[in-house]
Amino acid sequence: MAANKPRTTSFSRNFSAASSTAPQAPGLKHGPNGTMFLSSGIPDLDKILGGGFALGSLVMVMEDPEAPHHMLLLRNFMSQGLVHHQPLIYASSAKDPRGFLGTLPNPMVPKDDKSRVHETEQEKGLRIAWQYKKYFGEHNSESQRDGKSEYCSDFDLRKPLERHFFSGQRIDCVSLKESADLATFQENCSSFLSQTPRDTGNIAGGRIAIQSLCSPQCEFSNKDWEMLSFVRSLKSLVRLSNAVAVITFAPSLVSTAFSKRLQHLADTLVSVKAIPDEDKELAKLLTGYQDMVGLLSVHKVARINTQVPAILEATTFSMKLQKRRSLILECLNQAPVDGSNGTSYASSGSCSGSSKTGGALDF
Amino acid sequence: MAEWICRTLRDGGLEGEHAPALTINDTITCPLGSFVFDHFLSQLSSFIFCQKSQSNGIVLVALSRSPLYYEQLLKSKGFDLVTSSTWFKILDCYTDPLGWRSKLVESGSIRNLSSGSSLAVNICKNVKDLDELLSSILELGRELSGGGKGRFTVAIDSVSALLRHTSVSSVASLVSNLRSHDQVSSLFWLLHLDMHETRGTAALEYMSSMKATIEPMVQSVDGPRGNSENLSLMEQNLRRGKFCVRVKRRNGRVRMMFEEFYVEKSGIKFTPLSSENEMTAQSLVPKVQFNLELSEKERNDRAKVVLPFEHQGNGKTIQIYDGRKSLNDGKAETQPTSVQKVDSNRGEIIYFRDSDDEMPDSDEDPDDDLDI
Repeated sequence: MAANKPRTTSFSRNFSAASSTAPQAPGLKHGPNGTMFLSSGIPDLDKILGGGFALGSLVMVMEDPEAPHHMLLLRNFMSQGLVHHQPLIYASSAKDPRGFLGTLPNPMVPKDDKSRVHETEQEKGLRIAWQYKKYFGEHNSESQRDGKSEYCSDFDLRKPLERHFFSGQRIDCVSLKESADLATFQENCSSFLSQTPRDTGNIAGGRIAIQSLCSPQCEFSNKDWEMLSFVRSLKSLVRLSNAVAVITFAPSLVSTAFSKRLQHLADTLVSVKAIPDEDKELAKLLTGYQDMVGLLSVHKVARINTQVPAILEATTFSMKLQKRRSLILECLNQAPVDGSNGTSYASSGSCSGSSKTGGALDF
Repeated sequence: MAEWICRTLRDGGLEGEHAPALTINDTITCPLGSFVFDHFLSQLSSFIFCQKSQSNGIVLVALSRSPLYYEQLLKSKGFDLVTSSTWFKILDCYTDPLGWRSKLVESGSIRNLSSGSSLAVNICKNVKDLDELLSSILELGRELSGGGKGRFTVAIDSVSALLRHTSVSSVASLVSNLRSHDQVSSLFWLLHLDMHETRGTAALEYMSSMKATIEPMVQSVDGPRGNSENLSLMEQNLRRGKFCVRVKRRNGRVRMMFEEFYVEKSGIKFTPLSSENEMTAQSLVPKVQFNLELSEKERNDRAKVVLPFEHQGNGKTIQIYDGRKSLNDGKAETQPTSVQKVDSNRGEIIYFRDSDDEMPDSDEDPDDDLDI
């Protein structure tokens, strides 16, 4: 097309070599401002964050002590790394962290996806105007690619990750239970990261997953400054070495001042919240309450190499397990209430419906 | 709902899962936690005695009350003390928690160390060493479960007493070790909330799967001041209270249940809550700026607003006050409209016609003037 049309302006698009070739690894993709993204393992979350987790960023997840949703996020994150053969280091306060690897989900078999598409079209009680149906079709067809080269796989939470993904991988599991302080773990991380290649020709993208950093069983849990300086040094290590670190912590276990400091250190900050069970008020307020397991709020999105902030249309999403298999995030469909102090990014009320593609529609 | 909790503790945890853990919290305003603890202990004992539960026995870590008290409790509930050692064992951390009495016995100042109870007790002499405490608990549990196969329940009389002697992280680590141990079927403990910093209580809440809080029925406004109404309120709070439970379910939702309870001579009675309480579900969900629901007052006001149409639909043609007519001319005419306006003193729509000269629906096409 460009060859036929005469140039109307003196500017021409310069397809430089770097952006035209896809990155060697299927698990990475180019983002704006010279950043690269790797997938979080949850397609909806990638869309919300504008592509995924930026390489070199520190992601912090604020847990709710009453719900295990942060484990869902961690599981998808770790599985995605293993599927894309990215090196992984996992730390938790359990005696045997290797056991957690047994709970990682397997990518969904493509057969199941097709049936999902048909059902979405039939199940929809909404009557979609004809001109919008074509956009729905596009969304679905985009994700129906060959499973191997997909940037973000759909994970089936009921099936454990197949053995062949674990072989030939750099997977380190560290237990933080017996350590009196975080110094040894910090050394572990720096040696792990020094082994991930840094030159642009051969980026693999390393993943660090730390579960429940402030959990009270660890001796260092009352040494707030130590934990803070550990996170700070990890952030700088990660920034230098093209990796992504996901740390979960429960804000109620540290004092509010330290919780705030930890939140400020994060490049991307997300929190999960439990919802009350069998609550009639909430059932009236939200549609699809029966399928919801929790709420996910995005507080900050990493912006590397740019000063422009990311303004999201909606910051709170409901977490649902579709057919108890895959995790989807949806905008809240809530009945309008007294909007006395609503933010200017109020959650979009009715437009997204119960779309399986989640998020907002692009018109 | 207390029944529900007892059943959950009785059924225990599944293979490979952490054991359910209940924390009973109370405060000085309603210090009935120990009664609730005794209630759960006796309920579980009856389940275990009738062999209806997953666990074969209870290991009780007695820190704030002596084994003698528990002996009397069991006797009052009708259990036979002689055979109780097959399913009920006490780790006595009350008689000599720091080992001082045994030092005195060694030096000859006092004669013996027994607690005076006929129950099978193991005495713990160093409460500060939680690893040793853990191994003593597990050893007692092994004796109960017949060495290996069976499971047992652990009850800790007061974690507050443990927190006095050791750090939060070691107590949390003890609890998590117990929860993750294969042979422990369920676990419950008592905690006095106002005796510790928020960090300690938050850590224990984090480690538990069910949280039962005892709150006073009516909060007294002035606190511990001694005027007459306060005293009667305080007295009431020593006999009855509200029992609020938050359960963390496997699917990640939180179930909340409320009940009232009365402490009587024979024990505790739980009754469903008499007054409904408001759930603030709206605090979880972000606020939206639209308000599509009108209150009664708003609906009335809406009905009273005069619409700026020429025909109001009630058989009369009403002229809307037109700002361009001079007052002298239109006085007679504007009288009726001004009367109309006075009625609707809340909602007014002021409508100025665009052009007075133009008849509505004129044949002219204003676009004819354009010259393209």
